[in-house]
Amino acid sequence: MLFQHIKDLYDYRNLIWVLAWVEFKQRYKNSVLGYFWSLLEPLLMFAVLYIVFSNLMRVQVEHYQLFLLQGIIMWSFFTRSTSASLMAIAGKPQLVKKVYFPRDILVISGCITALLMSIFESIVFLAFLLFFGIPLSVNIAYLPIIIFLFFMIALGTSLVLAALNVYYRDIQYIWALVLQIGFFATPVIFPLSVFPPYLLKVLSYNPLAQVIFLARDVTLYSKVPNMASFLFVIFIAVVVLVFGYVIFTRLEPRFAEEL
Amino acid sequence: MSIIEVEHLHKIFQIPHEKRNTLFKTLTGLLRPASYETFHALKDISFSIEDGEMLGIIGQNGSGKSTLLKILARILVPTSGSVRVRKRITPFLELGVGFNQDFTAAENIRIYGIIMGLSPQEIDDKSDYILEFAGLTKFRDTKLRNFSSGMQVRLAFSTAIQTNPEILLLDEVLAVGDMDFQKKCLTVLEQFKNEGVTIIFVSHDLDDISEHCGRAMLLNHGELAMIGETRDVIVRYQSTAMI
Repeated sequence: MLFQHIKDLYDYRNLIWVLAWVEFKQRYKNSVLGYFWSLLEPLLMFAVLYIVFSNLMRVQVEHYQLFLLQGIIMWSFFTRSTSASLMAIAGKPQLVKKVYFPRDILVISGCITALLMSIFESIVFLAFLLFFGIPLSVNIAYLPIIIFLFFMIALGTSLVLAALNVYYRDIQYIWALVLQIGFFATPVIFPLSVFPPYLLKVLSYNPLAQVIFLARDVTLYSKVPNMASFLFVIFIAVVVLVFGYVIFTRLEPRFAEEL
Repeated sequence: MSIIEVEHLHKIFQIPHEKRNTLFKTLTGLLRPASYETFHALKDISFSIEDGEMLGIIGQNGSGKSTLLKILARILVPTSGSVRVRKRITPFLELGVGFNQDFTAAENIRIYGIIMGLSPQEIDDKSDYILEFAGLTKFRDTKLRNFSSGMQVRLAFSTAIQTNPEILLLDEVLAVGDMDFQKKCLTVLEQFKNEGVTIIFVSHDLDDISEHCGRAMLLNHGELAMIGETRDVIVRYQSTAMI
């Protein structure tokens, strides 16, 4: 059944791609600055946070500019993909009620849109890397794997949210709150070490914290990924994705009736 | 050989009296059990369709015609019974599904074509022809929001008929266009029929049904009242409608 579904998804690859592309393109189509807007947005956020946290709070981190920028880009990927998923099914009644294709395609393509945006934003990150002359090492080769695992976590979460939001429309408000709390429980703007030890212990089980931590290690600090973290993230990615599919397939048959 | 086999198909909808569509309402409503109205939309339907046949489905509003098409298209799941379909189904339940107003005609052909199962290669090959058939060649790069609804339907139809269907489901899509457009649609239908496409056709226009369909099915309050020679079924429908 699993292999059959993967084959189905492969057969629908053009649809997945075209849906992701439409969302991506539409995002910037009606703005004057077009695609540049997507570069400006993280840059502005970066500038504000950088001024506040490097001058006022005096965060002591090596390569703080890049630490911060990478954190923002990765966190935005997670917020964008999961927030988009809330409406991936609930916001497209026509596609659900008038044609048939595996419904998870709508969620997958939403996550791909978010990934495309993040890749685009990474141009700024790359420019910063060059500008500050950060030496890269072969460990950067781990980055695609880490991003793939991150994608699995985002997709698994998105599947649950997309399915639940069809039945319970207040999930979207609850999720906005969760994300706000998550922002501070994840080392986006400061390292986890600012927290007292007991909190640090709890927060290190936050998979997003581990993902961002791993990504920074292999890009900014030329380190080999910490094996414990790496295995933990692999484990979580598999669990979250399987859990997402279990919930999604259970709720999927009645989507067309609920909308 | 029959390519669609439906056996003892039932579809029951549960329509809640009070819709609990938030987590909050569901939690606060736990003490009061939810009350439902059940609606038996399809009752014990069994039939089969031969390859290359054109079957018309008639019946009053609410008799279950659209529900049946949606189950065949896998959009709805049967409550019980079995549905076996041996070829690829192309549903035309609505034209222009997935059309995006912010995109141009050419881009929308691409989006809609892929939703309807065309490959990017086929779309590249056919998009000039599609625009020509719709009479919209000049508007290739015009955004869809500047199109009239008639132009949009023409664009959608021209794209949809490029899909090389094996089994085609039509739910009163013909009702939308003007006379010329309807005529064009029926010509295309005839062409498909001659190519051996199996067509299932829901319509209220009994003339269209009797002209094009070899067999017809009459649904009455979710029950299969009759299936057989189109002429006989229409006579039966007219006699029950009188009462």
